Amino acid sequence: MKIVKDWRTFKAIFLRNVKLFTSYKSWIIATVIWPIPLLALNVYQYKPLGTDAAISDALKNYGFSNFAGMIIVGTIVYLLYNRLLWGTGVSIQSERWMGTIEVLFVTPTNKMIVLIASGLSSLLEASWWIVSIFLLSWALFGVQPTITSWFCVFISLVSTMAALVSIGVFFAGFFVLTRAADQLASGLQAPVRFFSGVAFPVSALPQMLQYFSYLFPVTYGISAMRKSILIGGNIEAIWLELVLLYVMTTIFLISGYFTLKAVERQAKKKGTLYLF
Amino acid sequence: MLTSESVLDGERGLSDYAIEAHGLTKVFEKKAKAEALGLKRLYRRVKPKKDKVVAVDHIDLSIKEGELFGLLGPNGAGKTTTIKLLCTLLLPDEGTATVNGYDVVKQAEKVQESIGVVTGGERGLYWRLTGRENLWFFSQLYNVPDHLAKERINKLLKLVELDERADEQVEKYSRGMKQRLHVIRGLVSDPPILLLDEPTLGLDPASARVIRDFIKEELQKKLGKTILHTTHYMEEADQLCDRIAIIDYGKIITLDTPENLKKSIQRTDIIQINVSNFKQEDEEKIGALEGVQKAVVTFTDPTVGEATIKVHVEKAEEVMPIATEFLIKNGARILTLEQTKPTLEDVFISLTGRKLRD
Repeated sequence: MKIVKDWRTFKAIFLRNVKLFTSYKSWIIATVIWPIPLLALNVYQYKPLGTDAAISDALKNYGFSNFAGMIIVGTIVYLLYNRLLWGTGVSIQSERWMGTIEVLFVTPTNKMIVLIASGLSSLLEASWWIVSIFLLSWALFGVQPTITSWFCVFISLVSTMAALVSIGVFFAGFFVLTRAADQLASGLQAPVRFFSGVAFPVSALPQMLQYFSYLFPVTYGISAMRKSILIGGNIEAIWLELVLLYVMTTIFLISGYFTLKAVERQAKKKGTLYLF
Repeated sequence: MLTSESVLDGERGLSDYAIEAHGLTKVFEKKAKAEALGLKRLYRRVKPKKDKVVAVDHIDLSIKEGELFGLLGPNGAGKTTTIKLLCTLLLPDEGTATVNGYDVVKQAEKVQESIGVVTGGERGLYWRLTGRENLWFFSQLYNVPDHLAKERINKLLKLVELDERADEQVEKYSRGMKQRLHVIRGLVSDPPILLLDEPTLGLDPASARVIRDFIKEELQKKLGKTILHTTHYMEEADQLCDRIAIIDYGKIITLDTPENLKKSIQRTDIIQINVSNFKQEDEEKIGALEGVQKAVVTFTDPTVGEATIKVHVEKAEEVMPIATEFLIKNGARILTLEQTKPTLEDVFISLTGRKLRD
């Protein structure tokens, strides 16, 4: 049965990734330590502008009362985006680096399952991040969440993660084709960081630039998370972000599926599948 | 027999052969060298020219069930490309091929379920996982039920004497151990057909012998697998294979049993002369001597002119005095001189005029 076959593929990829991740003990620590300077950078660039209370007051016009919280939630979603783009989109490229891409592509597996399993195993790593970063933020910057609905926090997080995995699936095909996945992934970092409003409210951007922001799922993920975690937003406050996240997830998954098929065929035609 | 055009998805074609290829061709495009393009390219907004390299050139193959078939040729001859076409990693530009009765283009998934692919070299395994974890991982990708996979993995590990090191990370394995693991990785789904691409590449003689014995005794004789085995080691092909196709520049230049291939040049005598003080410029001259069909020189120590000269002649007794006289006259010192039996390398030399390892 196809579903059993896909489940075996999913399980194998998921467990393999977890084993590979946990086999590098230093990675586990490094993944928590390295985002701290980025968080601190984002927070401290506001500090010279006034006292914390004065900055938070200024941000009230944009709907935020805690500037450090705004930055921390934005940074966490941005880091998640990076992790999931890497975990999902670059998973096929990683097989190239490990020298296993050909033995993987010669197996009768559904490559979409391979990608989704890679993405979801990255979520396991990401969960470790989220918890650690929240704890560190609380300790270092004194961020106090204002949550009225844990369900909304959960649904915002899951919907954001689903959208981020779907971006990874979408890009996976291009990464098979270009063989320069790391450059492409790195090239996307700065625009995503800017347009999604990682360290500032998107509404502070000129109207023209805001239109670009609306094209990035990360924007909606950050918005839904900020509303549900920092300003006690309920489902009515985040429904629009959720709907847009689901629409984008669907579009990215469907187009990712067809892109991957087309690109795999092209790589097999040109003989570039195994090339670095 | 169903032709590939009539094969429907999931339907198996009727064939007497485990592997068949007709006119299989693969052409790669390679960017032309910048200097060959000239300065005009700088001024014209045209795409860079691309050279075409015919890696596999209209090859025909018919491999019977249970046969151990060798594809022998020098590096770059098209052996690996042929394997990649048959295992669905590449799409052919022309021709058709079936594996286990399934079309390699239209029924790729069925082909993948029917084969185990083993490559030589260090790649193709997850080094941070243990040997057992690697095998389990691939068994799941081939949809083997967990209990069956575990049982099979234990058996396979014992067969290649890796059971005691099975729970160590692969990065701690020796080259020979990794290669044994490669071979059994190809067996975790118990496929009827195995495609072995240079499985002894880079191994020391003892490890290579272990792999060769396993292929012949276990895989072919006991398990009855159909095996397509590529190699550029002629002795290996000679020892193992029921039939051999010699491939060069993407074309199959001859195909027969090792015995028949060697018999085909039996009318040719081969004189092997080991010399010192041999000059490179004399290589062509010895080939031009009266009665000599071909002469191939392999320098073992070029600094002192030490070389092995293989001279293909029609009648050894007539050419031997001429050749020795020529060598002595030109300052070479003859160390040994013997008339040898033809090897597969001699077959290759006879057909192409070049050594297998050129």
